Amino acid sequence: MTIDWISLPLVGMPLISSIVLLAYVAYVSPAAREKIGPTVRMATLVLSLLMLVLTTAMFFGDNFIEGTLDWASLSFGKFNYEFQYDWIESLGIHWSVGMDALSFPMVWLTTFLLPITIVATWHEKNAAVYFPLILMMGGALIGVFVALDLFMFYVFWELTLIPMFFLILKWGGYDRKYASQKFFIYTFTASVIMLLGLVTVYFLQPENLAHAGTWTGRTFDIPTLTAHAQSANAGGEWFLGVGLQKVLFVMLMIGFLVKLPSVPFHTWLPDAHVQAPTGGSMLLAGVMLKMGAYGMFRLPLALFPHAAEHFQFWLLALGMVSLVWGAVVCLGQTNLKKMVAYSSVSHMGVILIGIATMQPLGWAAALFMMFAHGIISPMLFAVCGAFKHHYHSMEIGAMRGMAKHSPWLATSMMFGWMASLGLPLLAGFVAELMMFLALWHFIAAEGWSVLWMVGPAFVLAITAAYYLWSMQRTIFEGGEATQPPASLNGQPVPDITDAEKWAMVIMAAFTILFGVMPWIALDMMNGWTVAFFETLLIPILTGGA
Amino acid sequence: MEKIEPFGEGFVLALAPEFVLVIGLFTLMIVPNLGDAKFRIPMTQVRIPWFLGGKRGKLDSDPRLPGLFATAFFSLAFVLTAMSFVNGMNRIQIVSGDNVMLQVDEFSRMFELIFFGALALASAASVNRIPATSRNDRSASGLYNNRRQVDFYVLLITSGLGMAVVALAQDLFLLFIGLELASFSTYVLVAFLKESKEGTEAGMKYFIVGSVASGVGLYGLSLLYLWSGSLQFSELATAFAENGMESLPLIALGMLLVGFGFKVSAAPFHFAAPDAYAGATAPVAGVLATASKAMGVLGLLRVLLVVASPEATDGAAVWLVALAVLSVVTMTWGNLAALGSTNPKRMLAYSSVAHAGYMMAAIAAIGALNWETDHVDLSNDAALVVVTALIFHLTVLVCFKLGAFLVLSLLESEKGGHTLESLGGLAKRDPFLAVAMFIFMMSLAGVPPLSGFVSKLLVIMGIVKVALLDVTVNSDLSLADLHWVWYLALAMVINSAISVFYYLRVGLVMYFHEPEEGREGPLPAGGPVRLAILACLVTTVFFGVGAGQLIALAESAANALVGAW
Repeated sequence: MTIDWISLPLVGMPLISSIVLLAYVAYVSPAAREKIGPTVRMATLVLSLLMLVLTTAMFFGDNFIEGTLDWASLSFGKFNYEFQYDWIESLGIHWSVGMDALSFPMVWLTTFLLPITIVATWHEKNAAVYFPLILMMGGALIGVFVALDLFMFYVFWELTLIPMFFLILKWGGYDRKYASQKFFIYTFTASVIMLLGLVTVYFLQPENLAHAGTWTGRTFDIPTLTAHAQSANAGGEWFLGVGLQKVLFVMLMIGFLVKLPSVPFHTWLPDAHVQAPTGGSMLLAGVMLKMGAYGMFRLPLALFPHAAEHFQFWLLALGMVSLVWGAVVCLGQTNLKKMVAYSSVSHMGVILIGIATMQPLGWAAALFMMFAHGIISPMLFAVCGAFKHHYHSMEIGAMRGMAKHSPWLATSMMFGWMASLGLPLLAGFVAELMMFLALWHFIAAEGWSVLWMVGPAFVLAITAAYYLWSMQRTIFEGGEATQPPASLNGQPVPDITDAEKWAMVIMAAFTILFGVMPWIALDMMNGWTVAFFETLLIPILTGGA
Repeated sequence: MEKIEPFGEGFVLALAPEFVLVIGLFTLMIVPNLGDAKFRIPMTQVRIPWFLGGKRGKLDSDPRLPGLFATAFFSLAFVLTAMSFVNGMNRIQIVSGDNVMLQVDEFSRMFELIFFGALALASAASVNRIPATSRNDRSASGLYNNRRQVDFYVLLITSGLGMAVVALAQDLFLLFIGLELASFSTYVLVAFLKESKEGTEAGMKYFIVGSVASGVGLYGLSLLYLWSGSLQFSELATAFAENGMESLPLIALGMLLVGFGFKVSAAPFHFAAPDAYAGATAPVAGVLATASKAMGVLGLLRVLLVVASPEATDGAAVWLVALAVLSVVTMTWGNLAALGSTNPKRMLAYSSVAHAGYMMAAIAAIGALNWETDHVDLSNDAALVVVTALIFHLTVLVCFKLGAFLVLSLLESEKGGHTLESLGGLAKRDPFLAVAMFIFMMSLAGVPPLSGFVSKLLVIMGIVKVALLDVTVNSDLSLADLHWVWYLALAMVINSAISVFYYLRVGLVMYFHEPEEGREGPLPAGGPVRLAILACLVTTVFFGVGAGQLIALAESAANALVGAW
């Protein structure tokens, strides 16, 4: 059966419907805008739930859709639901979509987070504009993950900036102007450098007879490009030569490292997160950061494995520094959301370390970390958002004895914090454990000093410290003599709303699900990693072609 | 190629769009003056109706009439030009004896599309912009105000005619006549807003700097004539191919560059541009930034690539290498200056300088290629890519740059638009305008999927293609193997990152700041302007998402130029 289940249902529909909704909202009067808010919200929720149903069905490889699909045993360079249309023919640009086990978990995660985000921020002001923007964000994010064409990839990569820019600017905190600007400029700058690298790679591929009719005789098709690089990278031969491959690798990595973000390019993240509204933060931390890691796997690592191996030490160092620095900075935070944001930097360091080990286990750890962090960090931000929503403050000491007044929020917070610090049986633990094993393997294989393990181990303690410390000060401290935040002006302390409860419960349930049964997602990630190593990396890096 | 003598068979048909403009010129002069005047035959008492002058009728004294007429004529010329593409271009040369004067081909027609499109939008936006008085006002100043409407559009049409001549010219002298016709019209247009001190001052500055630049260019032209004895492009090209390394033609070429450099507002000849843009009304500034700039680029292409295209020699490209340095200076200067400007029109002027730098970088890339003799066989291919990119860029520039000026034009009609803060709260006051302006800014910055991104991508692709032409892909490459023009692309990329700062600032002000005091209410209606903005908006998005058609069109135009080498 050949129905394109990606282009229109997963990418086109959210983008088009959000634009239509926004145009309609702009058309009606401001008074009516308030009135149609709930309807718009419900419409976006329904649409996003439909997307979730579709991607879930795709996971099970339902017969109703495409016959039984096995994500885990997809060989490298092959894609499910692959479709291609001509877009700008003269340049060899296609609208080309498809998913493999690298992109599918990210797509599912996006569709999972969309309804959760909508529910968790159910009472956001100016709903008629806010919810379509969230939906648009989702469409753009999915576009990044399903794109199999460099041009299309870049288009969606940049397109994600625009809804996020407006989400921060219109619904953000006090310093939102600065934060949105910094966010936009930082990532845009990195992306244009990446773009030049992409164009250079594009012209360095040999003229392809299959594209003889096009203007340049070349194609933006990612699988073709990867296959070509694969054959050129044989053994000790470097695709495009030693010098150039290194330069291009760095150019591409700049784009992805800023997005990830890794120290020293991370400074936009805390600002953006602290100022962004809850929904924006949830999508930003949940999916948008993963675009960086996803891009690394898709492009530089696949195209330039030699350079990746060459820069292995630097990647590892960046990962270590991100991991440790993020955690240490967390210790000093008094702002709840800023602490969570820096903990994201720290966790992204885990992904980078996993990649840098250049081992299947490390890569699978990175992939699973992308996924697990994509469920846990939105929960953290949802907790922060609820905290802010009800107590009008983000300071850690502002509210004490929360366990007594708002048990739901206290429980959610405790659960999220525990998941994030890597409690066993929760999703984050699996990824961290795998990363440790991979790093240990790597160090043993390379004969490096065992001192390399000190940093990550140290971070475990720091992470536990800052999380427990913040919990102690907000949830438990005070005992009977609780101290409601001054911003409540003596009114009774409320608990979170039902919508927020639902969102928390669902996210917590999935955190447990993927913690207890990680193989649901890990199997396909593992399959992808193994395929990648067997077809691409091992023949190249071991020297035998 | 068909050859036609002036006013020979098929002459009018070949130049139909231009004749439409000539007819429009006379219509504009006559129609608003029609009245009930009678002419008394001398020595008798017989009065016969004369129509010219006297008390004007209700319809033809309407101050909006000239604007609508001009829009209609520009649109008609645009449509006629576009129609010549439909069934394959019929290439025609207008000759006088052995000399080719004008040539109608895809390249010249494409540029005419740019000119006429921009002018049509600008004239639509100018309806109701110049102070007009109620038509019942019979006082001298009232009448004078209404007559001024005609002058404005007459000047627009003459500048359109001048631009058309530049596009068609096959003779350097003719090209210069067209350039001057267009320039002089724009000098007056810039100064047209005599109510404001800035307008007059801007016109004066623009005129003085412009005429100095033209004078230098004209001097270079005369030197060229002295050297080769002809100003025909074909003969100049032959002469250059034989001994283009002589010092006389090189000096002459440098002087010509000054003339065109002023038109494209390249550093260091750009100083008058920000003042001119800020002083002129926004639609006129938009014309300067799009059509007038396209005219300058056209001149650069003709002179540097057709005339001095050093296919056989490797010396005459020395100016193209100079252009490379100049392009980096221009784009950086433009962007840094734009960062510090608080007047949106000045900011757009500096962004226009930066865009000139990008285009010059692309032209320089072709020249740099020709600089080395062993690339000659490949140069046509790469030049085609670069010229296509340039034409595409100039075309879509009309959509978003002019569009941005038109948004400012609406603000100007409530005495705003001179400070960034006057854009404050636009999102609340008029969501359509704010969205349009934001999209224009994003397109200028080069954010996908808008047309500005595709044009920037094409220019970068053109430069990179040139840089990689002689690179044979092997496993021994390093950065040093790439041609140095690759660094032009790098400079462009870094510059476009800088430019995001000021483009984004406009969005921030519109969506974040509160309206200025006294500006809370809705904006003036201005139907024609809004229609023009909508047209710009739709094309900005369309040429980004569906760029294929326009690229094909631009490629056919580029082929007409490059193929003629």
